[in-house]
Amino acid sequence: MRLFQYSSNLGRLARAAALAAIPLLSGCFWLDGPQSTFDPNGPVARHQQDLFYLTCWVCLVIFVIVGAVLAYAMIKFRARGDAADFPDPVEHSHGNPMVEISLIGASVLALVVIAVPTLKEIWYSYDVPVGDKANAYEVTATGYQWWFKFDYPNETAKTTDPTGKAVNAPFSTANELVIPVGRPVKINLRSVDVIHSFWVPKLAGKVDMMPNRANHLWIQADKAGYFWGQCAEFCGESHAVMRFRVIALGPREFNDWLSAQMEPARRVAAPSEADAGKPKAQFAAYRTFRRNEAGYSDRFDASPLESWREQQKPPADEDAALIARGRELFSAKTCATCHTIRGDGYIGVVGPELTHVGGLLENNRDELHRWIHAPNEVKPGNTMWVKGYIANAIKLTPDDENALVSYLESLK
Amino acid sequence: MEEALAKSDFLAKEEHPTKPFVLWRPTAKTGLMSWLTTVDHKRIGFLYGASGLFFFIFGGIEALLIRIQLAVPNNTFLTSAQYNEMFTMHGTTMIFLVVMPIGAAFFNFIMPLQIGARDVAFPRLNAFSFWTFAVGAIILNLGWFMKDGAPDAGWFGYAPLTTRTFSPTHAIDMWVMGLQLLGVASIAAALNFIVTIINLRAPGMTMMRLPVFTWMTLFTSFLIILSFPAITIALVEIMMDRLFGTNFFEVSNGGLPILWQHLFWIFGHPEVYILILPAMGIISEILPTFSRKPLFGYPIVVFSGASIGFLGFGVWSHHMFTTGMGTAATAAFALMTMAIAVPTGVKIFNWIGTLWGGHLTMRTPMMFAIGFLWMFMIGGLSGIMHAAAPADAQQHGSYFVVAHFHYVLIGGSLFALFAGIHYWFPLMFGRMVSEFWGKVAFWLVFVGFNVTFFPMHFLGLEGMPRRTFTYDADMGWNTGNLWATIGAFVLGIGVATYFASMVYAYYKGEKTGKDPWDGRTLEWSLPNPPPEYNFQATPLIHARDAWWYQKRWRRRSPPR
Repeated sequence: MRLFQYSSNLGRLARAAALAAIPLLSGCFWLDGPQSTFDPNGPVARHQQDLFYLTCWVCLVIFVIVGAVLAYAMIKFRARGDAADFPDPVEHSHGNPMVEISLIGASVLALVVIAVPTLKEIWYSYDVPVGDKANAYEVTATGYQWWFKFDYPNETAKTTDPTGKAVNAPFSTANELVIPVGRPVKINLRSVDVIHSFWVPKLAGKVDMMPNRANHLWIQADKAGYFWGQCAEFCGESHAVMRFRVIALGPREFNDWLSAQMEPARRVAAPSEADAGKPKAQFAAYRTFRRNEAGYSDRFDASPLESWREQQKPPADEDAALIARGRELFSAKTCATCHTIRGDGYIGVVGPELTHVGGLLENNRDELHRWIHAPNEVKPGNTMWVKGYIANAIKLTPDDENALVSYLESLK
Repeated sequence: MEEALAKSDFLAKEEHPTKPFVLWRPTAKTGLMSWLTTVDHKRIGFLYGASGLFFFIFGGIEALLIRIQLAVPNNTFLTSAQYNEMFTMHGTTMIFLVVMPIGAAFFNFIMPLQIGARDVAFPRLNAFSFWTFAVGAIILNLGWFMKDGAPDAGWFGYAPLTTRTFSPTHAIDMWVMGLQLLGVASIAAALNFIVTIINLRAPGMTMMRLPVFTWMTLFTSFLIILSFPAITIALVEIMMDRLFGTNFFEVSNGGLPILWQHLFWIFGHPEVYILILPAMGIISEILPTFSRKPLFGYPIVVFSGASIGFLGFGVWSHHMFTTGMGTAATAAFALMTMAIAVPTGVKIFNWIGTLWGGHLTMRTPMMFAIGFLWMFMIGGLSGIMHAAAPADAQQHGSYFVVAHFHYVLIGGSLFALFAGIHYWFPLMFGRMVSEFWGKVAFWLVFVGFNVTFFPMHFLGLEGMPRRTFTYDADMGWNTGNLWATIGAFVLGIGVATYFASMVYAYYKGEKTGKDPWDGRTLEWSLPNPPPEYNFQATPLIHARDAWWYQKRWRRRSPPR
């Protein structure tokens, strides 16, 4: 009986252990995550991966050969019994020049196998191939603590000057780089503060963004897709959440997106007399986020590109009055000091341009509210919190937050 | 005769008054005062070792806190600011306050004994080095007790993140000052060792009869005096920037951050060899002893150590492959980095050659030494993979690099230091460390280490960057990180077991007579613990592995 008791305890223990092992073993070799280098989606990343496999194989072969010899020596020459059984030294061998020289020769040969393709790939990944230069699209990526700004130097967007006259302006996006599929994209890398590093593992290896230094890299996406990137050089408090995305679109969709972006900010028509005072949008409950939570919805994770396309459409339940109030608050609460919204007369350059912020990222109500409500919990120590909220003692009532959220959400 | 002795230095006490006006000669032989004023190389070696192990506790706790934070995605155990302090101080502590001082402990304790000297060349300078090191170490860690917090810009302290604009508090000032003092301590100690090895060798101890550990001490010392000036300059520059408003790195006034990186890594890469060469020296002592065979290819091992030292100054920019150096520079440094793999590989071949045909007795030091061979091989091969610069563009700054250098620094340096502590413990204290607990500790450390760091290769290739305080649950990094955290605790328990058995052995260990391992080099000819004057009579050296042949010659005919 006791034995049974024991074995059933043991069985329970084994089951518990098996259960605990599931999260440890599942996905142990899940190598196609959103930032995996094993799943290249462009020629640069593919070349780098091929070189990785080559070095990996050469090193594995060396490891297996040397390891086999070492293992053999460990087993074969292990002393049986005590050291005292062998008072006399074994046959002394002080070395063998021929063995040494041939081993050195073999190592050099193995290294040559790696060195030749390495040199080739250094030149290949440095710049757009000469034949493709005419076809290349050019953007400029600038690192800020802790976001990426993407300028499209060859495009001009529309805006209005203070008198209301239509003029041209440069335009930029934040944390989201949209590129055409199948064309090489040359990215100029800049930084305005500390050193950052531009890394989209599925498209190319990283290159640093350094202040006072003009770096560049090139990428190319084979097919439409949504690729995650992340800053890869330690850049301060919120380095871990300095993430961005590259969205590759087919030529037509890319051009549509570009012309939509060049328009000034979207204006929601003023509410009619009858509708005034009747709030349409429901802001009863924003989702609460835990600190450090990345917070992308399941729908978004399942199909980021589709989700992103959905994001470009205005929400159905817009409240024009609330939006108009948000537009005023944007200036009253000093947001406009740092942010540009083309067409609405806001021209700050410290923070990201927000002209089309509602269509970028997964900027749904929850996310926008999270940013406006407690910026410090999204990216600890960020400029908006330290130099905006704290320095200017900005206080927002829940109504203010609602208004700002619906204004920003309307900026598709 | 009496008259002659009275005039000599040995007996003429009257001519050296013990209490002159200002600087009297300390005479305490026991108690706290004796430790504070000692100039005996063995006691200073012990002090280095003890402080290294003390800071190992700090660095280890920091590592475990890092691993707790990263055990699960979106964890809130530490804030990002605390996390940055942890990894900065973990790196700085483990490199400057653990591996270097434990290495220095062996340089101090073992090297003079191996060459038949009575002390290092400048005993007082030696004490100066240690106490400068101690002050530097304290200043580095003072931040934990300050309002401004501990340094938080990484052990590499890349400008401009360390400039006043982006790190306005005094945390970085403490880091700069602490490192500067550690540099002074290291340079003074290195000069001391070089002069000792060149000048104080016993008669007959020619350079090519030096034990390999002493050779590696010499190379390490040269690396220190040649590389530390670079970081001294860099630290002076950042100090001037921070405190006196110069513009070396202040980008808004035209400073160049790349300058810091070049200066830092031209120190930083030789520093890697400063950490690994002593380890290679220890391994080259332990493998022959426990194989009961001389080192295979002694001259090649020595010369490969020298060429690692030389080439080590020509590869620093492989830490900067992603800074946009341009094609030619990248290619040159990639090739140099591959070249340095050759002398490193040669050492591995020679160590295996040493095992070949021997009688391998698997005592704890030997197990750590063979563990070193395996782990260092993995770390070395992943190093070659980094040398392929375009592939490295994907690995740089990712957890792949974290895996690589922990294989070299734990699987390499630390395994060797553990082997060395266990090996020389009987000589230092006259007591044996428990074999059983030594082996338990070895297996815990070995398994824990691999469980922690092997998954990190995959984490890096799956795109997880280093120095991130949190990660998203959907990135496919959860499993690897959980494994790493579990492994880190096993590793922590293993290290704790190791040190517990050391402390136990120090008080209660089995007493042993001299030369318990049937050693080969001169230090084993001494009674343990060695007397203050080391050698009663200066030994006369006739061969490499002097003590081994001395023992044999006594018994039977000399070797061929």
